[in-house]
Parts: sequence; C-alpha cells; structure tokens
Amino acid sequence: MNNYLIQIVEDDPSVKKLLEITFKEYQFKSVSCESKKSAFGMFLGHNPDLLIVDLGLPDGDGKEFIKQIREISKLPIIVLSARHDEREIVAALDAGADDYITKPFSVNELLARIRANLRRKINEENISDTITCGALEMNIASRDIFFKKEPLKLTPIEYELLKYFILNTNKTLTHKQILKEVWGVGYQNEMQYLRTYVNALRKKIEQNSTRPTYIKTESGIGYRFNCNNE
Amino acid sequence: MKNSTLKYGTYSFILKALTILAVITLISHVFGAYLDIINIGLIHIIPVVVVAIHGNMKATIFITLLSVVFFNFLYIPPLYSFNVHDELYLWSFGIFAAVGWIVTVQAKNLMKQTKQNELRESLLHIISHDLRTPLSTIHGTINLILSNSDMEKNSIKNLLEDINYASLRMKRLIANLLDSTRLSSGDINLKLEWCDFEDIVGVALEEFSQIQKDELLEIKIDEMGLFWGDNTLLTQLIINLFDNAFKYSKENTKIKLLIIHDKTFVKIKIFNKSDYINKVKLKNIFDKFYRFEDTNDISGSGIGLAICKSIVTLHGGTIKALSEDEGMLIEVRLPILKKAKLL
Repeated sequence: MNNYLIQIVEDDPSVKKLLEITFKEYQFKSVSCESKKSAFGMFLGHNPDLLIVDLGLPDGDGKEFIKQIREISKLPIIVLSARHDEREIVAALDAGADDYITKPFSVNELLARIRANLRRKINEENISDTITCGALEMNIASRDIFFKKEPLKLTPIEYELLKYFILNTNKTLTHKQILKEVWGVGYQNEMQYLRTYVNALRKKIEQNSTRPTYIKTESGIGYRFNCNNE
Repeated sequence: MKNSTLKYGTYSFILKALTILAVITLISHVFGAYLDIINIGLIHIIPVVVVAIHGNMKATIFITLLSVVFFNFLYIPPLYSFNVHDELYLWSFGIFAAVGWIVTVQAKNLMKQTKQNELRESLLHIISHDLRTPLSTIHGTINLILSNSDMEKNSIKNLLEDINYASLRMKRLIANLLDSTRLSSGDINLKLEWCDFEDIVGVALEEFSQIQKDELLEIKIDEMGLFWGDNTLLTQLIINLFDNAFKYSKENTKIKLLIIHDKTFVKIKIFNKSDYINKVKLKNIFDKFYRFEDTNDISGSGIGLAICKSIVTLHGGTIKALSEDEGMLIEVRLPILKKAKLL
C-alpha cells in the first residue's frame, strides 16, 4: 500500500515485536535496532521516513540521539516513554522530537500519530494555498483564518496562537515552545497567559470545551493541535 | 462503647506503672535495710521504663516526677522531706529523666515503624486484590477468544471492549498507587501553577471510555479565571472522583459534576445515584483502604478517595461526603489563594 519505512529504536523485545507485527499488518516497512550505538548507522544506511525512539535505551540517552538526528534531518520523530515521566518527555520534545506516546499505548493511537506525522511531512513538502483542518481553514498568503466558512473573530494574541497551532498541526508542543514562539523570549514561564488564551480559543472553535477535538491538552507537557482530515 | 474501651486501653499502662510504684515502695519499706539506697534508687527506675515503652512523653514525665518525688521523700535523708543536701542525688534525678526520655523516643520510633508496616501490608493486600480483578477479566477473556476460533466478529468485539475497560482500570490503579506512596511519604511539595478547571476536567475525561463519557455524565463548570494549584494532583483528584462515582453509581443513571466559582473558594460537587449509604460509613469513606463492606464485588479500593483527601488537604481545602437524593454527593471546597494577573 504505502512505501513508508519506519525505523524502530527499542530495546524491549516484546514491545519491539508488537511494533514490528503492527507495522507489517498495516503495510509499513520497518527496520529495528536495540541500541543508540547501532541506531545512527542504521539511520544513515536506510534513510527512514519516520523514527520511533524509546527514551530508556541501555546505552544512553535517547535525547542525545534525537539531537544528533536533528542536525542532519527533519524527519518526524516519535518518542516512546515507559513511565509518564513528564520532564523526560518535555526534554525530548525540546530536543527536537515531534510527538510522544507513553507505554502502555494502544496500537490505534500509535498508528494515528504515525499517520498524522507523515501527513505533516507531506504537507510541508507540497505547499498549498490553504491549510484545512476540520471546519478550520487558514489561507497561507493572507493569513486569514476561517471557521465554518466564516472569518473567525480573534484578538491579536488569539490569532497568533491559533496560527502557530495550525502551522504545527499534529505535533506535541511544549508549554515553553508555545510561549516562546507566540509571546516571545522571556515569556517561557508565563503559564497563565497560555492557559487563559487556550481556554478562550476553545470557546470559539470547540463544540464542547471540556471535550476538545482540536486543541488537546497533554497534561504536564503542553498542547497538541489535532487534525484528522482523512 | 468502642471509644471507652479504647480510652481505657490507651491509658491503662499509667495505672500499671502506678501499681508497680506502689509495690516498689512497699518492697523498699520492708527490705530497705538489706537493699541499701543505691538499689532502692535503681528499682525506682522500673516504673519509668514501664511507662516510657508506650511512647507517650507526657505520661513518662508524669511518672518520672512521681518516682523521683517518692524516692526523695521516703529514702533520701533527711527522710520525709524534699530537702536535698547532696548534689549527687540531683544527678540521679537527672538520670531518671534521661532514661525516661531515651526509652520514650525509641518507643515512639518503633511504633511509627510498626504503623507503617501495617499500612504497607494492607496496601499489598489491596494491590493483589484490585490488580487481580481486572487482570482475571483480561486473562479469562483472552483465553475465551483464543479457544473459540469460530466466534462471531461482534461478540469478539464485545469481549475486546471488556479487556480494554479492565486494562484502563489497571492503569488508573497503578497511577493511584504511585501517587499514594508519593503523598504518604509526607515530604511532598505542591507544584503550584495556574490551572484551568475546564482543561483539567477534559484531561480527566480522557481516562474513561467513550460510553462513560458520552452517556453517563453531566458536567457544568462556572465561568472563572485560573486557579492557583497543583495541576497534576488536581487532575488526579477529578479522575478519582469520577472513578468513584462510576464505581458506586446505580446502573443507567447520570453522574453530575458541578464546579462552582465563589469569591474566596472553588466548590466541586459530584453526585451519583446509589443505594442508600449509611452516615457512619460516609464519615469513614476518605480513610485509607476503606471500602463499603457490602460492596465487595465492586473492583477498586478505598485508596482513590484517600488520595482525594490528601490532595484537597494539601491545597488547604475540605472534602466531605453526604447522602442526598437517593445518592451520594461528594463536595470539595478549595480556597482561592491567588488571582491571576493578565497582561
């Protein structure tokens, strides 16, 4: 079906097996390795379309590996974390990973994330005039945002925030990353701004703000702008 | 009834020490000539030690004083007076007090350890029971599917739904266990930040299955600013409140969550229909490891609500359970400590 190649870096044999079987079942090609040491060579040799990296590798930090990769490639990186260790996950995202998933994970969730991240990669390669996400539409040139075909009334900061979310669709963004990009350097710890504006945005675009479908909260980590145009 | 026996049991050791002191006085009087002052002094330490091993500092001080007074008054010359001529005797009084203090402190430590061991034991008990319940669902259902090769697709899907539900329960329980060890270790620091209750409720809902979310819940949250609290713990609080409501709620009845904003506090109310719960039990519901006796078949444990109480207390708030309108209402009150300043 597709021709995507996924590289798995995971030392736990049962998780590795589960991933390999899943990918085979869903017609992805995959290669896998167990350590940081062999991962880089494998990456250069196979040039995969997406990376899945376990954070707790036996021979060292997954973060180091992510940084190494980021110096030479922009491919999507999804991090696997054994515990819900928020600090580790945030550090990995800040190091350049695009998304994360914690064990135990559901295969459906993982596949959804993989597809979303691959789609983002394609979108970045084929630049079009508009970005559509559900009932939201953004014109790239004019930067106007429409909701259900109507122009969306937003304050300047709400607009900047939503624009940043749309441009980083299906990517987990840490609080710090968002604050730095939308509010500027020096605002990285001003969480109250972020929470207030996310709340306000949700009121404008979500049907039910306690069950958001666009702006998802990643507790203790950040937010993720979800877009599932199948 | 229980209370009075408890009280008697708690303080009976003082009576015991007093009796021993009386016996010692008697012995010292009768055999005083053979025993010599040093030995009489030494046996007066016995009641001090007897009291001290119960770890109650006040009782120890009381008996030490009494013992010293008796010893001084009856045996140290000049007899039948409190004058102490020799400085050496002051020393022996000091030693009495020191012995009492050391033993009391040691006893206190020991008692604390015993209590912790008891807690740990009941925790283990609960873990083995409560993890085993969903695990047996998973194990049994998987075996059923594996042994029936020609099962209908629909019934397989139903069974898988059960497995999914059981594994979600296990996941929540494990999160709770980790929290409970963190909370009961005592030296926890709140990670205070600006929290949005709508957001917190949204995250909490992700922990539950679609059916629970869509059909059984009614949520109303007041329009309010941000709340200064520990985001992770408050999320856990809401998850546990939902979990408890789902566990004890009557089948096919709605669960209502209200978050009310007032000037000085935020009130969280969660209500579920349930068979009549007696009031004594409601008082104990936040104790660690408490569970309604007659609902043994319901999986889960008292640990969830005990964690709720710890979280609420850490935020300086209160939590109570009421029986109302053929159901149970849990009411949390959290004081507003700080108001967010915006731009």
